[in-house]
Amino acid sequence: MPLVGLRQRIASVRETRFATVAFVAVLAAISAACSGAAAGHPGYEPGYGPGGPGPGFFPLQPVSQGGTLVSNFYPFIFWIAVAVFVLVEGLLIWIVLRYRRRPTDTELPKQTHGNGVLEVIWTLIPAIIVTAMFVFTVDTLGKVETAQDPADNPQMTVDVTGFQWQWTFEYKDKGISLTGTGRDGPTMALPINEKIRIRLHATDVIHSFYVPQFLYKKDAIPGRTNEFDVIVQQVGTYAGQCAEFCGIGHADMHFTVQAMTPADFDAWVAQQQAPPPSASALPSNAPLVSVTSVGVVQGFTPKELSVAADTPWSVSLTNSDAAVPHNFSIHSANADGSDWNAPINADAGGSVTYQPPALATGEYTFFCSLHPNMTGTLHVGQ
Amino acid sequence: MTADTGVIAVPHQEHEAGHSGGINTALLGMLLFIGSETMFFAGLFGAYFNARAAALSQGQTWPPPGLENVIEPGIIPVVATIILIASSFTMQWGLWRIRKGDRTGMNRALAVTFVMGAVFLGMQAFDYYSLVIEHGFGINSGIYGTLFFTMTGFHGAHVFGGVIGIGIILLRGVAGQFSGKHHVAVEAVSAYWHFVDIVWIFLFSTLYFLK
Amino acid sequence: MATTTVTHPGTIAYQGRRSWIYEWLTTTDHKKIGKMYIFTSFLFFIAGGIMALLIRTELAFPGVQFVDAETYNQLFTIHGTTMIFLFVMPMFVGLANFIVPLQIGAADMAFPRINALSFWMIPLGGLLLYSGYAVGGAANAGWTGYAPLSAQGGAGLDLWLMALVLLGMSSVLGAINFMTTIFKMRAPGMTLLRMPLFVWNTLVTSVLLLFAVPVLTAGLMMLFIDRNYGGGFFDPALGGNPVLWQHVFWFFGHPEVYILILPAFGIVTEILPVFSRKPLFGYKAFVFATSAIGALGFSVWAHHMFTTGAVYLPFFSFFTFLISVPTGIKFFNWLATMWGGQLRFSTPLLYALGFIALFLIGGLDGAFLAVVPFDFHVQDTYWVVSHLHYVLVAGAVFGIFAGLFYWFPKMTGRMLNERLGKWQFVLLFVGTNLTFFPQHLLGLDGMIRRIVDYAPNPGWPELNLLSSIGAFVIALSILPFIWNVFITLRGPRNAPDDPWEANTLEWATTSPPPSYNFDSLPPIRSERPLFDLRHGLTPHAAAALPAGPTETHDETRADAPEGSK
Repeated sequence: MPLVGLRQRIASVRETRFATVAFVAVLAAISAACSGAAAGHPGYEPGYGPGGPGPGFFPLQPVSQGGTLVSNFYPFIFWIAVAVFVLVEGLLIWIVLRYRRRPTDTELPKQTHGNGVLEVIWTLIPAIIVTAMFVFTVDTLGKVETAQDPADNPQMTVDVTGFQWQWTFEYKDKGISLTGTGRDGPTMALPINEKIRIRLHATDVIHSFYVPQFLYKKDAIPGRTNEFDVIVQQVGTYAGQCAEFCGIGHADMHFTVQAMTPADFDAWVAQQQAPPPSASALPSNAPLVSVTSVGVVQGFTPKELSVAADTPWSVSLTNSDAAVPHNFSIHSANADGSDWNAPINADAGGSVTYQPPALATGEYTFFCSLHPNMTGTLHVGQ
Repeated sequence: MTADTGVIAVPHQEHEAGHSGGINTALLGMLLFIGSETMFFAGLFGAYFNARAAALSQGQTWPPPGLENVIEPGIIPVVATIILIASSFTMQWGLWRIRKGDRTGMNRALAVTFVMGAVFLGMQAFDYYSLVIEHGFGINSGIYGTLFFTMTGFHGAHVFGGVIGIGIILLRGVAGQFSGKHHVAVEAVSAYWHFVDIVWIFLFSTLYFLK
Repeated sequence: MATTTVTHPGTIAYQGRRSWIYEWLTTTDHKKIGKMYIFTSFLFFIAGGIMALLIRTELAFPGVQFVDAETYNQLFTIHGTTMIFLFVMPMFVGLANFIVPLQIGAADMAFPRINALSFWMIPLGGLLLYSGYAVGGAANAGWTGYAPLSAQGGAGLDLWLMALVLLGMSSVLGAINFMTTIFKMRAPGMTLLRMPLFVWNTLVTSVLLLFAVPVLTAGLMMLFIDRNYGGGFFDPALGGNPVLWQHVFWFFGHPEVYILILPAFGIVTEILPVFSRKPLFGYKAFVFATSAIGALGFSVWAHHMFTTGAVYLPFFSFFTFLISVPTGIKFFNWLATMWGGQLRFSTPLLYALGFIALFLIGGLDGAFLAVVPFDFHVQDTYWVVSHLHYVLVAGAVFGIFAGLFYWFPKMTGRMLNERLGKWQFVLLFVGTNLTFFPQHLLGLDGMIRRIVDYAPNPGWPELNLLSSIGAFVIALSILPFIWNVFITLRGPRNAPDDPWEANTLEWATTSPPPSYNFDSLPPIRSERPLFDLRHGLTPHAAAALPAGPTETHDETRADAPEGSK
């Protein structure tokens, strides 16, 4: 009967100790790492939330009614998970410490093949726990999604259209349409404590409307209109971002939600509805260059432009795409070296004339801030 | 290491018939393969009913407007269907012959089946031709055309594979292979051919009648 | 019929005249094919790992410093595709290829030539996938390839589609082979309920592959038609539906998750009884739980689609919760197997313990995702990234290393160095947690996945840096393994037939086994034939008598082939 030899037994004791020490050390390291990560970060600006403390074991502070419901429900799941975690890891550590093979273990341990009662117990108890979790999940889900009740009319509807890689927010009954430019995207103003319906559309690929502090996201899918209701409860500015991977500009597809009092919101609406201030007049002899067409596939035509240095100038952009907006922006064109981002986009099939800043002699790269891979060269000289 | 029995297992040899332990290994492999093929076509049927349900739930017609009368059980598709279904019977007849040890009878049945399969493919090609040329209805004619040509096209590819398989066992039969005990390849090809036939029955009733 | 499609009429070769390379290229021996699977998939593991390091290097700091967005998108697409289709799946197929015939007392797989075909499709598929880099950019739509985004993009995506079709065919043929082998080629006395749990898990995995992969193939074909022939499956302008892709993909994709983890369950379930010197606690419970996971695996796919607004949420939530019950059964039975045992902390057991300790986290944070309203928040965030990596790294990779350390002596006749193995384990354990635990917190804070750049919100740069450091610790942990294999293979053959005092049939033959596997088999009266041989029948196994060889095995014969002792 091949049993463990004495040398092996000694080795196994050494192994045991090594394993135990390593195991405990590693567990300690994890918990240290976690607590370190979750601890406060002194000296930080408030980030996502007003006074947001940074990441932790709980979702960030919600600012919407639905988000609050989820946030209140989360600890129930969290503490069940912690209990299961502690139970299983505790048993595991106990087993590792208690049932090491010892040099004296020459006889086989008791050969137990199973226990029907135990099997039933540890099938039923988890089944009951997950059933409870399911019931509460459906309950919370129903509260979060009450919005779907057709009788429950919202006070206002905002149509959101995601496209590669920008957002358009439309307040159709107010005649306001905002399309973002640049990396920051558009800003959606919302009155607080009113039920807002967000209707989601997409023109090209799937996007997802996600405001972390709503603890909610929903996909914007081509050929389909999704909608959800939100009641924002706190005045503030909340970052949002496309959450469904949508191509090269995905990481830059931001937007902002600005929640304000109803009075402020009315003022914002009036301001948006006022005609935009006319562009400052250029000298009549200011040079005008043209981009005769621009599209996702072929890019800018022409790809090289030339203007005189240190002279006010303008550029007209004609969009030849059927569905996709574009714009004309210039890398490192601002006085401080930052990118000059076009203030508006040329709608599909439309034309826009821009007045970029006068530039010093040199070579610049112009691009579409919606599609950063579309570029061209701008020669600025005498 | 001692053992009180010296039994060892060896890999299964093809054509080792006369087994007592249930289904032949190679035939089991073919049946499992047919199971996976079933899931492949289930995926395509899923796409069809998804598109159909989406159109109907949005109050649109199905087939889409303008295409109501393109896919009709006309003379070509109906005859082709009858030929394919009949070829399942000739295939089974060939299998019964070889089970009785009648290789010549099997060869005749296989030859008939082979021709019927080829005729089906020819008629399908003709059907495609008239759809594309006369009706201007192709794989790029919207979801309806995409579904029709994808589903019948993949089925046609499977029929083609089956015809090749029948051709191979026919050649082997002509060369004097197979006997009443050793004919697992015939069993396997037969099972595959019946499967292809059944898929067509579902395709035909879905695409031509149910719509 | 099916076996005649392979061109090489190779048989098990005994002669030494063929060149070494020709022998490996044409082999149909399941052990050699298994080793080639393992070697190839390990190369892809390194490739995918290097991509992961590039990804984590870019994410170590906010801003775009190291790779641009397009490169980044290709990196995470190819990383995911490589790790799933070219590392974990073929690695488990390789282990099962080597072990399953041995564990059931067979001489080879049912269809050895198809087995070789399945293997050679793997490097070919890998070549197709990576050749995207040579034609203007690899696939860049994520490993999930969501339409219509995947309908854009260049030739790299077509190559990605073709690679997946090829790898899927390899998997289906492999699954047919395993199922046929397991159903038809078990040694006398090896009833279904005496099969080792690794064989059971391979069987259930094969069933999942057989029914899930063809659905993906159908979807890939549809996408290929959309991309190249003007099809409209996923284009709403033509009457198609983008959500259809997600249904088709996840109908495959969720069983796929169990395809990636069930073999690891099987390996852990093999190792724990051996290193505890106890029988498996609740053998039938394991069989039941494995089968239940397999069956339920087909009813949870849409929990990946809660935010699409296009699925019935409570149904998929319920089944997602439910599938945690059989997994829980496994956990408790694993603990009960060790309870009262005499644990020997060799490297395989350490990995099995690490698996239990960490896969638990992947299971628990997965249960959170079944909570639909919470899923609305963390879907497509780093919570999901963390969850899937706790399942696939702490689960599949730990299971793989457990299996490699456990079976290396059987495969090569040499014992891997224990000290290096333990260093590797500690590094991998620390690295895994360092990398993936902080991602939970980032997900809770709303950091979305698949972005090349992230906002420098409070705590985000620190947690990301921590995660990136962890990724390099994981990479570091692979070095001792490579060194370990290298020095061990150069060393003498030092492994006895049964170095671990194991229970199952693969240890009844020499290390490594001869090409025909067994000179003789011990009687199989329980799921532990070798234990019975060492210690005599326990009352438990004796009670199972006189069940005996109730199933007939016509493919067995009493005489050993030439060359056996």
